[in-house]
Amino acid sequence: MDRRRLIRKIVVYAVYILLLSSLQVSYPNRLGFWGQTADITFVFVVLTGYFHGFKDGVIVGLIMGLVRDCLAPIAIVGFDGKVHVSAGIGMLVLFLAGAVGSSFFTKRMHRNIPFAFVSIAFTTLLYKVSGHLMAYSWTVLAPAVGSYDLGFYEIVVRSCLLQTLLNLIAGIPLLLLLRFAGPVAMSEQKRSADDVIMVGEENSWLQI
Amino acid sequence: MKKLITSKWFIVLAVSLLLIAGIVLSFIPGSPLKAAVGLSSKAVSPAQAGVKKTGNAFSDFWAAIADGIAIREENKTLKQEIADLKYKLNQYEEAAIRYEELKGAFHIRDTFSNYDIYGATILSREADEWFSVIRINAGKNEGISLEQGQSYPVVDVEMNLVGRVIETEGSNSKVLPLLHEGFSVAGKVNEVNGASVIICGDSVLKKSGLCRVKGIEKGVKLVPGTVIVTSGEGGLFPDGIPIGTIVSVDYSNPVEVTATLKPFSVIGELEDVFVMIPYNADSKKEGTPGASETSAQGQGGQG
Repeated sequence: MDRRRLIRKIVVYAVYILLLSSLQVSYPNRLGFWGQTADITFVFVVLTGYFHGFKDGVIVGLIMGLVRDCLAPIAIVGFDGKVHVSAGIGMLVLFLAGAVGSSFFTKRMHRNIPFAFVSIAFTTLLYKVSGHLMAYSWTVLAPAVGSYDLGFYEIVVRSCLLQTLLNLIAGIPLLLLLRFAGPVAMSEQKRSADDVIMVGEENSWLQI
Repeated sequence: MKKLITSKWFIVLAVSLLLIAGIVLSFIPGSPLKAAVGLSSKAVSPAQAGVKKTGNAFSDFWAAIADGIAIREENKTLKQEIADLKYKLNQYEEAAIRYEELKGAFHIRDTFSNYDIYGATILSREADEWFSVIRINAGKNEGISLEQGQSYPVVDVEMNLVGRVIETEGSNSKVLPLLHEGFSVAGKVNEVNGASVIICGDSVLKKSGLCRVKGIEKGVKLVPGTVIVTSGEGGLFPDGIPIGTIVSVDYSNPVEVTATLKPFSVIGELEDVFVMIPYNADSKKEGTPGASETSAQGQGGQG
C-alpha cells in the first residue's frame, strides 16, 4: 500500500473512531429505543472487518475499544461486593467483533452488501448471548454481586432481538459512510474478479 | 510453527488472553492497563467534548427554530409569573431574615450544611446495556479527590440522588448511577421514624428506569406514591436526600417483600449534577481529626 492510501486510511479511521465513540456516549438516548441503545461503535467495527479485512477489523476494534473504555468504562461488582471500574472490556469486545466480522463468510459471500447485515445480526446476537452468559456466570461465581434474574422475554426480546434490530438500522448509514466516505477511495473499491479474494486478498471491497 | 504464529485465530486467541489478563489486572490499583486507559482518556476527552458541544449547538439551533412560536407565547405567561414571583420573593426575603434569627435561637441545623457542593456537567453516559458508568467534568483538579474506599454522593439540581463518585482523575470523575446493577443505598420512608429499606440497581428494572427496593421489614406497608429518601445509615450519604417514589409493591413472597422505585432524577435527561463532599473528607487531607471515621464508613458499597 502506498503512503497516500495509508495516510487516507489512518485519517479516515481516526475521524470515525473519535466521532462514533463520542456520539455513542454523548447521545445514547437518541440512538435508543425501549431501554436499548444501538451500538454504532460495535456495528462500525463489524462492518470494517467485513469489508476491509481482518487487519483493519481488529486494529480498529482495539482502538475503538480503548476509546470506549476511556469514555464509558464498565464498573463491576467484585467478589468482595465492592464496585470496581475495569479497563479493557471494551477493547476485548470490539477486538473480537472485528475478528468475527472479518471472518463471517466474507470469502464465500464475496463481501457483498446484503450479507453485511447478516454479519451484523450474527455478531450482535453472539455478543448479546455471550454477555448474558457471562453476566449470569459472574453472579454464580460471586454471590455478592446479587442475582441475575432476567426472564426469557427480557433476554430474547428486549435485549437480544431489540439490540439486533437497532444495530441493523444503525448499520445502514454506517455502511453508506464506509462505502462513500470510507478508508478506501471509491474508485479503488471496484474489483470485478472474485478470485482476488479467493486467493486470500483481505483488504478489497467487492461488488454484489 | 511460523504458520501457527501468523495464523489469524492464533493472533485472536493470544490477544484475547492478553486482554483478559489486562482486565483482571485492572482491578488492582495502579495497573498498567488502567494507566494506559487514563492517559488515552486525557487525549480523547477533548475530542468527545468537542463533538458533544457541536451536537448540542446543532440541537439548540433546531430547537430555537422549532420552538420560536411557542417561546413567544410562553414569554408572555412568564412575564406575568415573574411579576408574581417578585412579590413572593420580597416576602420570602423577609422570612429568610426571620429564619436566620430563629435558627441561632433554636439551634436548627441545615440538612446539608456540612457539605461542599461542586457543580459538574455530564460528559458521557452509559454506552451499553451492561454495567457502564457515567463521567462528569470535575475531578482532582477541581478538588474532588477520592481516597481508597471513599465515595461522594452525586445529586441533581433539585438535590435528588443521581449516584455516587467511584473514581476520580485529573479533570473528570466516574459516577456509579442509581440504576447501575452494583448500586445500593440505605433509604427510609420520608416521614418521622419512617421504615428503613435498601434501594438497589436491577438489571431488569434498569431498562424501565426503575430500581429494586429490598430489605422491607415485616409488617411495613409500602404503597405506591410513598416517597423514599436516604436514611444516612452507612455514612456514605447524608440522610434526607430524595431518591424516588414507590411504583409497585410485590407481596407474593411474604418472607421477602420487594418493591419497585422510580427515581426522581432522570439520568438520561440530566446535563448538570452536583457532587457533595463532606467537610470531614477535605479535612482528612489536612490531617484534622474526624476524617478517618468518614473513610471507614465509606468502605462498604452501600451508603
